[in-house]
Amino acid sequence: MELTNYLNAMRDASGVPFYPVVFQFFLVLTFALHIMFVNFLLGGVVVSIWARIKATPNSLRLSKALARGSTINASLAMVLGVAPLLFVQVIYDPFWYTANSMSAYWAMAFLLILAVAFTASYVFYLSGSDKAPGASGWAVLALVALLAAAAVIHALSVEQLLPQMWKTWLISGQEVNASGKGLYAFEWHRFLHFIAPSIAMAGVYLMLYAWFFNGRKDYDRAYLQETATLGANLALYATAAQIAIGLWWLFSVPMEFAFYKNPFFLVGAGMGAAFFLFLMTARANPIKNAPVAALIAFLSIFLMSYAREALRMTYTGKVGYNIFDYKLSLDWGSTVLFLGTFVMGIVVMAYPILVAVQVAKNGKESNNEGLAKLATALPVVWFLVVAGLGIVISLKNGTLF
Amino acid sequence: MYPFWEVPVWTSGIFIALIATFHILPSHLATGAFWFNVFIERKALKENRPGLLDFIKRYTLMILIFCFVYGSLTGVGIWFAATVASPRSISALIHNYVWGWATEWVFFILEIVTIYIYYYTLDKVSPKTHMRIGWIYAWSAWISMVIITGILAFMLSSDSWIRTGGFFDGFFNSTYWPQLFSRTALMLGIAGLYAIISASGMENEKDRNDVIRSASIWGMAGMVFGGIFSAWFLYKMPDAAKGLGLSGGLPYLKNMLYAAVVCYALVFLYMLVAGLLRPQLAGKTLGILMLVVLFLGIGAGEGFREGVRRPYIISQFMYGNQIIAADVPAKAIKSEKELFKDGFLAHIYFVPDGLRTITPENEKAVGHIIARHQCGNCHTFDADGKMRALPGLFTRLGMTSKDDIAGWMDAMEGYAYMPPFLGSEEEKQAVAAFLASKMQK
Repeated sequence: MELTNYLNAMRDASGVPFYPVVFQFFLVLTFALHIMFVNFLLGGVVVSIWARIKATPNSLRLSKALARGSTINASLAMVLGVAPLLFVQVIYDPFWYTANSMSAYWAMAFLLILAVAFTASYVFYLSGSDKAPGASGWAVLALVALLAAAAVIHALSVEQLLPQMWKTWLISGQEVNASGKGLYAFEWHRFLHFIAPSIAMAGVYLMLYAWFFNGRKDYDRAYLQETATLGANLALYATAAQIAIGLWWLFSVPMEFAFYKNPFFLVGAGMGAAFFLFLMTARANPIKNAPVAALIAFLSIFLMSYAREALRMTYTGKVGYNIFDYKLSLDWGSTVLFLGTFVMGIVVMAYPILVAVQVAKNGKESNNEGLAKLATALPVVWFLVVAGLGIVISLKNGTLF
Repeated sequence: MYPFWEVPVWTSGIFIALIATFHILPSHLATGAFWFNVFIERKALKENRPGLLDFIKRYTLMILIFCFVYGSLTGVGIWFAATVASPRSISALIHNYVWGWATEWVFFILEIVTIYIYYYTLDKVSPKTHMRIGWIYAWSAWISMVIITGILAFMLSSDSWIRTGGFFDGFFNSTYWPQLFSRTALMLGIAGLYAIISASGMENEKDRNDVIRSASIWGMAGMVFGGIFSAWFLYKMPDAAKGLGLSGGLPYLKNMLYAAVVCYALVFLYMLVAGLLRPQLAGKTLGILMLVVLFLGIGAGEGFREGVRRPYIISQFMYGNQIIAADVPAKAIKSEKELFKDGFLAHIYFVPDGLRTITPENEKAVGHIIARHQCGNCHTFDADGKMRALPGLFTRLGMTSKDDIAGWMDAMEGYAYMPPFLGSEEEKQAVAAFLASKMQK
């Protein structure tokens, strides 16, 4: 059995319920959101350790704020990570399942390591006082565990890109290794390209933090200015490092791919360069420039995620795999269910977020009565519609009683 | 076939079983807790008892950490475990229900966002606003159950989906409503027990006892209705499942059901005595012990539900060994039974070149590879294996030779809970040779 035959034979017999390009778009979008919070989390832990060890009143306050933020970022990173995990299995299933099965214990260990990281983050935050987080050892443990988890998921990702190596890794003489203990691929440049933005995004996070609380009486202006300046500097220098690492990665990609000419890469890299240039000028007033910096940073992440996807398509295309010729079993009903829920979810979410922002910025909520009623009613309406549909279908199929 | 992950002694399924069973606790707490939370918050406002808000804060923090760290992790963990233990089955589910899961994911996000804001805005926004955020969480969390139950129930009773291939035909299947109702009731039972544990540490005695009494009533009601709806579920199970689980096809399944009932009864009694009648008896130690009992009960109940599905992992459609068992014309899916009957080895990619042709010298090695794929999801090959170890099973049946085992493989389809062996005669002999070699160790 040839590799291309294997890959296409392992595609799911059910096909995909909607056009692959839509899954690909949601894969990239949700991955970008996920990795942004991963960056906030990882970079935030690094900065909070540094601030905890520095131990000035301002740095302790910052460390505590970052420790608190880490627990929220951890939850969001995890939940946002569910979606790309789902979509990658829809269009790249042969790659995903093969790589994970080969390194099964590592896929399991990934979760255990994350549990350690999140537990340590919570202990770091909760074990301290009002003015400072707990012992920095907890944050160091969280950081080590997060880096280990990143290394595992990175290795699993690279394994997926090298299907021509799979048999070499798994078969030795007359033996097929079914132990699931091996971890077979690691690329430092690619790994660092995911780690370096954590520092840059932590910098953006600090700028946003200072911008958000600017004007509040209980937040000292000098403290916020110091935090924003630190953030802008971190973002600038880490982005410079990121560009260098990106070039290193680019030159490691097989030349036959000519990836440097790929339009997705060019747009993504261009946005990354724009972010760097903007930060150079934004440093003059980092508090004011925080929202624009955050917007450009997210666009850079999103476009680079598309470039990453384009690279994956190039790798998989070389072994005869193309997501766009996946068997289509169109299912409009469930597609509409998701898209409708997605839009509804944004509307519902807007309400609590608006309240939280108002309270955090002004100390009290404003009048949001219309949105409040809508957001509270929509989940109920959703349920009534779906339950009604379910009863009709159950009666039609004779499965209700 | 994907590479096989062979876990000695226990099989890879143990990872799914452990993670999924644990996940039930935080997931059902996450879905059920806020109905009780908003009830107590409403009571606090209506009766002007700010002391009750102390409970809200404790309870919400517990939910936050337990559900949104360990619950979320184990939720993702089930996926990862299924990915490595049974990739083709999780793939089949995902390719049919991806939009269902994606819809559930939207509600996950809503849960996360609202619970953090709910926790951090207590005392900082108007009671009405705070309650509204609580309601959004409660509905979102429960809707995530409304969705995942459809996919779980589909695995037991795919019904007309096998004919139509329709998302909603498979989703709203014959065990969907009983499972949704019984899980909804059970989630209130679990939430009640957690609330008792959480409230037992409250300082104000009146507030403490009031919350514990209320939680007990919620919990007991959940248990009672959970029992009623579970009976409906048993009634609605497919006939084959009833044969295995209720009519003695696999006697241990009935024992699991009894174990679940005993565990739930114990928890009910605890809520009645140490919750409703004598709330002062409620404490953390006994509460956590009851949680362990409940955990065992859930494990037994879920084990029963999983067990009665045999020989399928997806009802009528896919065997436990991940081989497609039936045509689904609407999706142009062909059963693999015919395809593999004349030769299974050719469909495995990860085979050393020297083992592509079976010879007397290599038949055990080839047999091992085929046995992994056809038997290894449910059985270990180790003599000291703990999970349906084949050497132990054959010893009990008095079969020790290659011929005995090959003969038994011919008769396998006669067992209601076993998939047939699919492969050529030569391959069957190779598997029998491998299994016989394990007997001699």
